[in-house]
Parts: sequence; structure tokens; C-alpha cells
Amino acid sequence: MAEKAILFDTTRCMACRACQVACHQWNDLPAEATTNHGTYENPPDLSPTCWIKIRFNEVPKANGGVDWVFTRQSCMHCTDAACVEVCPTGALYHAQDGYVAYNEDLCSGCGYCVEFCPFSVPRSQGSTITGIRKMKKCLFCADRVAEGNQPACVKTCPPGALTFGNRDDLVIAGKQRVKAIQTTYPSAYLYGEKELGGLHVLYILTYPPEVHGLPSKPEVPLSARVWKNALQPLGWGLVGLTIAGLGLNYIVARATINAERERVTRWMCPTCGYIRQGDEPPDRCPVSGDPGKKFTRMEE
Amino acid sequence: MAGDELVLKYRVAERVLHWIHAFAFVILLITGIFLFFPPAGFLAQDSWSRVAHRLAAIIFVAAPVITLFVSWRASWKAIFEALDWSLYDLGWVLAFPRYYFLSDEAAMPPQDRFNTGQKAWYLMVLMFSPLFVITGGLMWFGKDALPTWVFQWSIYIHDIVFMVTICMFLVHVYLSVLHPLMRKEGGSFRQMVDGKMTIPYARGHHGKWFERVYGSQKAPTK
Repeated sequence: MAEKAILFDTTRCMACRACQVACHQWNDLPAEATTNHGTYENPPDLSPTCWIKIRFNEVPKANGGVDWVFTRQSCMHCTDAACVEVCPTGALYHAQDGYVAYNEDLCSGCGYCVEFCPFSVPRSQGSTITGIRKMKKCLFCADRVAEGNQPACVKTCPPGALTFGNRDDLVIAGKQRVKAIQTTYPSAYLYGEKELGGLHVLYILTYPPEVHGLPSKPEVPLSARVWKNALQPLGWGLVGLTIAGLGLNYIVARATINAERERVTRWMCPTCGYIRQGDEPPDRCPVSGDPGKKFTRMEE
Repeated sequence: MAGDELVLKYRVAERVLHWIHAFAFVILLITGIFLFFPPAGFLAQDSWSRVAHRLAAIIFVAAPVITLFVSWRASWKAIFEALDWSLYDLGWVLAFPRYYFLSDEAAMPPQDRFNTGQKAWYLMVLMFSPLFVITGGLMWFGKDALPTWVFQWSIYIHDIVFMVTICMFLVHVYLSVLHPLMRKEGGSFRQMVDGKMTIPYARGHHGKWFERVYGSQKAPTK
């Protein structure tokens, strides 16, 4: 199946935030009460009930004035996804379409995905004391996509800044668009084509990624790989070696003890050849009646 | 033979602590090992294993701390016993392959109430418990407040200590319950049940301690 993706064109985004509303509506997420903190950007951050938001950046222009840059902030659905890498229960996984799917029932609430995501997207909520938590993030509207529909944010986007389709087609479209705007924005760039093995949300950026609040070289932290690919195998190896060592010890020790048990002294009557097993010879030979003193010890 | 007569090795407080601590440890082990075995991940769903892990952690910490205060002098005495290392322990280390593989009991130098292996285990518990508790506490209470790198290092340290501990735990259970010599002699496991060992066993395995406590007395109960 062809991989699906969302293409986000920053030059077309007008920060109406209809995508935020549509996301809340489709996913039945409650609205958050917020206070004015000096910008139209709202809510201030992603949260367990806010899976997408538009980030507002003011970039000074060379000729004076300010360029208002709007950047989508949501799950990037990486191919090389740190969250999938570290998720211990398999709650996070790659869907056939390529995006990062999430089986919420399986989530144990460990929050490793929250710690390791290079875009700091997943949010978890719950009780610190009991540890009962659930992670929340954009689900790529998997239910809509499975029915052949567009994700809610794409469907609603009034200026057409969001496009949904086959990833290969969107990469081509994105590159064309980048070429077209490069006269105005020399550092225009299609973000996500190669990053982390290819993101399933592609960005047409007008400035270097940092200006948009994106890492220029996102990567799965080495620490995330170490945990599952080095530490855990090391642990299993140690346990395996221990069990093997103990098993070997058991076999050797039991063999030694059994050998000792069989090593019994035998005594022979010199007159009739009667043999007695035991630590000492009998008082008298039951056959010939000779005294035990005359018995000779048999060497093995 | 005075083989039927028994001497006390572990007091009630020691035995109760041992089994409560062991119970908590096994719960911690089971609810923690899910994270190392993704196919069993479904067992951790909806955080129930995290709740159990926390409850067991409370017992794991509270049991020794309460014991320390309830049984203050005896606890410190046991700790100092575990810290008391001498050349006899080097002898034990050199003799232990012959002992455990070839059941060569004569090779063992006389041991105190704790033999070298038991002291090593005791020390490991004394050293690893704080590591578990500190890193676990950071992950538990500092989840939303800590910088990522502290959280990550807490995971690593917690896991590395866990790996070493689980190996030592296997050795511990094996040597006390499953080893052919222990099954033959009915040694360590019984000591943790009623606290007692036979006089020949005490003389043979903890000679230094037996001599010190009972001296020239042939049989203490007579």
C-alpha cells in the first residue's frame, strides 16, 4: 500500500487555527480555558487534549518589518520513530500507511515516548502518585483515513495549506512548490523528505528549520536506541549466561555427589571369597565363619 | 551423633524481613520485567503493573527501614557482620568452585555466621537498594519536573542494577534451594523458615561462628 502523508505549506498557512478546532471536534477533545499571554498563539502548548496547534514566530525581515511565520506543531509520523523504538508494550507502532499508529489500550503510561520524541510531541496525563497515566498524540485520523477520507485538519484547512495524499506524490509537489518560492525565500526547504527516514508530515519551510521551531537535524536519541538495542539484549544475555552457568553447576555437582555415593568400600573373605559392602568388614564371615579381621579391602 | 540438635542462625526479625522483602522484590521483578519483553506488554496495559510496582516499592523500602528501627542493635550487628571481611573470605573465594562443583567441603575455610557469599549478597542488597530507590523515586515523583537526561539516566541505572540483581537473585535462589549439595544437606532454605541449622551443619559451614558462640561446649542444648 502506498504510504500516505500530509503536506503542510507554511506560505499558505494563515493561522486561522481551523485545524485545531477540527481536530478537537473529530477526536472529541474538550477545549482548554487559557489566558492571554501576549500572542495570538493559543493554546500555549500541545497537551493531552490538544494534539495539533499552530506555532507563531515573528521573523525580522532584511528590509525592515516582520514576517509572521506559522508552523504546524503535531506528530510528525516519522519512519524512524523514537517513540516506536522505546515503547515497551508495543502500543505505538507503524501502520501500513506509514504513520505512527497508537493502540491506546496497550499504553502502560510509562512516558518513555514523551521523553525521547525529538519533536517533543507526545503528552501524557494521569496521576504522579499512582502512576496511572495515558499518552495522547495525533492519531493521523486513522479512522477517517481507513475509510478513504482525509484527516480532519486537512479536510477543514481553508487556505489549502494542508494537503493529504500519497507520500511520493506529495514529495514531488512539495519540491515543485519549494522551487517556486525560492526567489522570495532563498532558504526554502522541503522538510521531512529525508529526515528520520522520511516524515509522514512534510513541511514546506520558508526559513531554516530552527526559525520554525523545528530541529534542523532531528534524530532518534542514541539513548533511545541504547535502551532496547543494547541494554535489554545485554540483560537477557546476562540472565542467559547465569542460567547456563547454574545449569552446568547443577549437572557437575549432581554427578560428583552421585559418584561419591557409589564409591563404597568392599571387603572380601580370603577363605571363601564372600564380599561385603560397607565401611567395615562384618564381625564374622556368614559363609566360612572366619573373623572379620581377616577380610581384605578391595581396591577399585 | 548430635545431628538432631539445632542451633539458631536467623532470628525471627531477620526471617520476617527476609520474606517480606523477598515478596516485594518478586512483585517488583514481575511488574518490571514486562518492559524488557514487549510480547508480554499487554499485561502492563492501563498502568496496573505500574500501580503494583509502586505498592511493592513501598513495602520494599518500608520493611528494612522499619526493621532497622524496631531491631536497631541486631540490625547494625548484622550489617557489621556483612562488612567484616578477612583472609578467610579470600580462602572461601578460592575454594568455592571446588565446593560448589565437586562438593569438596574440606576445601572451605571456616566461616562466620554469614559466609563470604552471603556477605557479598548482603552487601549487594545494601548497595543496590539505594540505587533502585533513588532512580525509582526520581522516575516516580520527578516525571513532569525532571530534565530529560536525568530521567534517561534514571532508566539506565535502574535497568542495569536490575539486570545484575536478577542474575544474583537466580544464583541466590539456586544456591539456597536447588543446588544438589543444599538439597542433600537441607541447608539454607530451612534456615530461613525456622531459623535453625543442625549442629554438624553449623560446625561444618559456619565453624568460626560456632566456635566463638558455643566454644568448647560439645552440644549447646544438652
